Amino acid sequence: MDSLDQTEWDVTISGTGLPQSLLALALSRSGLRILHLDRNGYYGGNEAALALRDAEEWTQEHGDQAGQERRAFSQAELVNKDGERSQTGLGPSRAYSLALAPQLVYTRSNLLPVLVSSRTHEQMDFQAVGSWFTISAPLSIQQEQSIIPTMMKVPSGREDIFADNTLDLRAKRSLTKFLRFVSAYDTDELQAQWASIRDKPVAQSLREDFGLRTDAAVAPLLGLALVPSSSDTTVMAYLVPRIARHMRSTGLFGPGFSAVLPKWGGLAEVAQVACRACAVGGGVYVLGQDAASASTTEDGRTEVKLSGSEKVTTKWLVGCVDDLPHSFSQQTGKEDGKPWPRSITIVSSPLTSLFPTTSEGGVTPAGAVIAVDSPDSDEPPVHIVAHASDSGECPQGQCVLYASTASENGMEKLDLAVKSLLQSVGEDPKPQVLWSMRFLQRAPRSAVTQTSDSAREGNVIRLQTLSTDVVLEDGMLEDVKKAWHAITGESEEHFMKFEPRNGEAEDDSVL
Amino acid sequence: MTRREKRKEVRLTFEKQHGIPRVSATAVDRSEQAKEKERKQIEQYKALERNVSDRVKSKDYSGSTLQATSNLLTQNPEYYTIWNYRRLILQDAVHREVASGHDATGKEQIDEKDIAAAEKAGLTLPQQEISLLVNEDLQFLIPLLKQFPKCYWIWNHRSWLLATATKHLPAKSTVKLWQAELGLVSKMLALDSRNFHGWGYRREVVQELERLSGSSMAEKEFEYTTKMINSNLSNFSAWHYRSQLIPRLLEEREVGSEDRKKMLDTEFELITRALYTDPYDQSLWFYHQYLLSTLDPGNSQSTSLLHPVTNADRAQYLQQELDSIREMLDGAEDCKYIYQALLECSLRYLEVGSGNRSPLENEMKDWLVELKKIDPLRAGRWRDLEAKMKL
Repeated sequence: MDSLDQTEWDVTISGTGLPQSLLALALSRSGLRILHLDRNGYYGGNEAALALRDAEEWTQEHGDQAGQERRAFSQAELVNKDGERSQTGLGPSRAYSLALAPQLVYTRSNLLPVLVSSRTHEQMDFQAVGSWFTISAPLSIQQEQSIIPTMMKVPSGREDIFADNTLDLRAKRSLTKFLRFVSAYDTDELQAQWASIRDKPVAQSLREDFGLRTDAAVAPLLGLALVPSSSDTTVMAYLVPRIARHMRSTGLFGPGFSAVLPKWGGLAEVAQVACRACAVGGGVYVLGQDAASASTTEDGRTEVKLSGSEKVTTKWLVGCVDDLPHSFSQQTGKEDGKPWPRSITIVSSPLTSLFPTTSEGGVTPAGAVIAVDSPDSDEPPVHIVAHASDSGECPQGQCVLYASTASENGMEKLDLAVKSLLQSVGEDPKPQVLWSMRFLQRAPRSAVTQTSDSAREGNVIRLQTLSTDVVLEDGMLEDVKKAWHAITGESEEHFMKFEPRNGEAEDDSVL
Repeated sequence: MTRREKRKEVRLTFEKQHGIPRVSATAVDRSEQAKEKERKQIEQYKALERNVSDRVKSKDYSGSTLQATSNLLTQNPEYYTIWNYRRLILQDAVHREVASGHDATGKEQIDEKDIAAAEKAGLTLPQQEISLLVNEDLQFLIPLLKQFPKCYWIWNHRSWLLATATKHLPAKSTVKLWQAELGLVSKMLALDSRNFHGWGYRREVVQELERLSGSSMAEKEFEYTTKMINSNLSNFSAWHYRSQLIPRLLEEREVGSEDRKKMLDTEFELITRALYTDPYDQSLWFYHQYLLSTLDPGNSQSTSLLHPVTNADRAQYLQQELDSIREMLDGAEDCKYIYQALLECSLRYLEVGSGNRSPLENEMKDWLVELKKIDPLRAGRWRDLEAKMKL
């Protein structure tokens, strides 16, 4: 490739993480000259998908780095079984595509319509995330072998409640009533009622206002909302909208599921397809280069020095905090969040009991969500997202578990939660951990809306990092839209609305 | 992907599913360019229509006319006259095949391959041809059916094709066709479990399969309704179908009075559990009403499930239900269906029960007051009910 030195660009995007890649997609038809860099040798940045060997290298690169620069990942380590890989039952490295970003995408998220209108959705496969489970009485550090944790399916709608044997008739009634309230909580009719309960702690309000007293009735609701903190501190204003989102998403693309996952490695696929679209539109892609430093030139442009010491000038420079030069990351603070423990585990069994078809004649899901209570009720739960081999992330006969928790010293808790899960499925022989890695990820726990002041400094735009919420939040795309608007000046209706390119089918109706 | 493989991928775009429109990328274009394009489309359509009409009028029942109807119907499957034309063409082809079977001379050159295929399938040559014709048309219908699952004429044409096949082909071939239809309708119902076309067609298919095989499918179909109800409680069609199957089931199982009672008990338990989960769902109350109606001595339409049955038995069930529904009120005092059910149940009880009527009649007056309060729009209806109750 010709040298980049002294080249001029309209937009330079640093990092091919999901926010940056979506911006690249949004700009792919704009005719602007786009240079898209990534310091890694692969696409996806913090949202990349890694083959097994790549994942092992990655843990070495991101090992004990607490505080080194402003990297998102630190303290990465392998928690392998000893012995040759061939003896452990692991497949070849390329048979795996482990997702750094296994977030769930609700069917009503703002991302999916954008993938349709930008005509990129057909380059990706999506699969259903079917069942939600909770595990109570999990293993604690002391009791490892003595207690079998119990796993229960979370009723996510009326029919599940109807079928659930652990709920008596009254509880069924109360739960359905609560869900009916949730599905309409933001309407005018229920405004007064909502105002009176929104700030109440969850346990109290569920008991007083909805007659839900037992653990059997309350625990599933917490699991459904994927409440990250302990139930004592969560308020209804947090719980109810999340359950509403879940319910409103159910059935949109088919009966029995409310969220989807992109095949082949989570959000990495979306980032890749987005970058490809920008490349087709003329964007130039360079891996292994970073925006090392930047300064303003006389005519108001930004001169960016790349890590290879080439210099480019650009009208706009965009990136997430990790990918922008130091000078622009002075705004780090509460938005950057704390470091949260996460782990990725490959299991020796397909754990089929986690992936039942959720409706007669419906799709077979490839994802499942498990909320594992902490043995200590003051502590937050561990959330595990399970991906079946149908997701393309591992060979058949195995599955991948992604665990996270909002407890700062929670690394050990992740292991225990995974062990609880493997015990509770009741398989014989017991499923084994074939391979596991864990790390800390510093990110906001939930999407924070940036003000335009903090996001922009002159013509350098900082996109917000993806939160570590188990669910992909709508805030990210809103952030990308703002950046796109700043760059193009176009009005919102045109965001990600593309005509088919020549040669593409005019009509993308189904079947 | 074969039909046998379980579906794993989720589609993000859809047409007319669950009433949600396609995500449309462009706004309606009212420019001259767009209007010109539309004018051309209209002209093309009209020309096609004229073409088809002319050909059929002149009795041109050739393959190219069939193709022309295919083009027209793909654009407008609601145009039922064209379906009639299509059937004229197909009927003509079928008759010619049947005629050729009786006439040894004057046949065209017959392909060796066709003879071999027919022999393999155990059919005569004309039968093989008819089978191919029917199968091709069935295939033609599939994408149309998926796009327009509630179009009467498509379901109707399908019925006709199956009937034609049944008339001309041996039973073992048509059984296969009908079984495939059962598979298709199950898929359609999985896509939209409340499509009554699907349910009606299913009953038609099941009836034919039972006739051809000589055995009943009531047990399997009963299980199917259970599955569909578990999938969606509001499935009125599934509950209705269930109510049609139960009397047959009891006959076929040849059970005694104890087992009949057990069945009725189980059904009441099932519907009670559903009603507790959601008393605001009308389709559940309809099924409850059905179960009550089987206890009605004078009801000629609804066969009694119990046998033998005395007024004392009936009174016992009605009393049980009255108690159960009274309890349901707790926490659902704003649910009009509960009051309606209480009144309905009470009326039935008064017909077969014995003893002092006043306590119940007083309760009924209270329930009627509540009903009028909750649903003032239907005041006229409650007045009629009041008159009927003769309190």
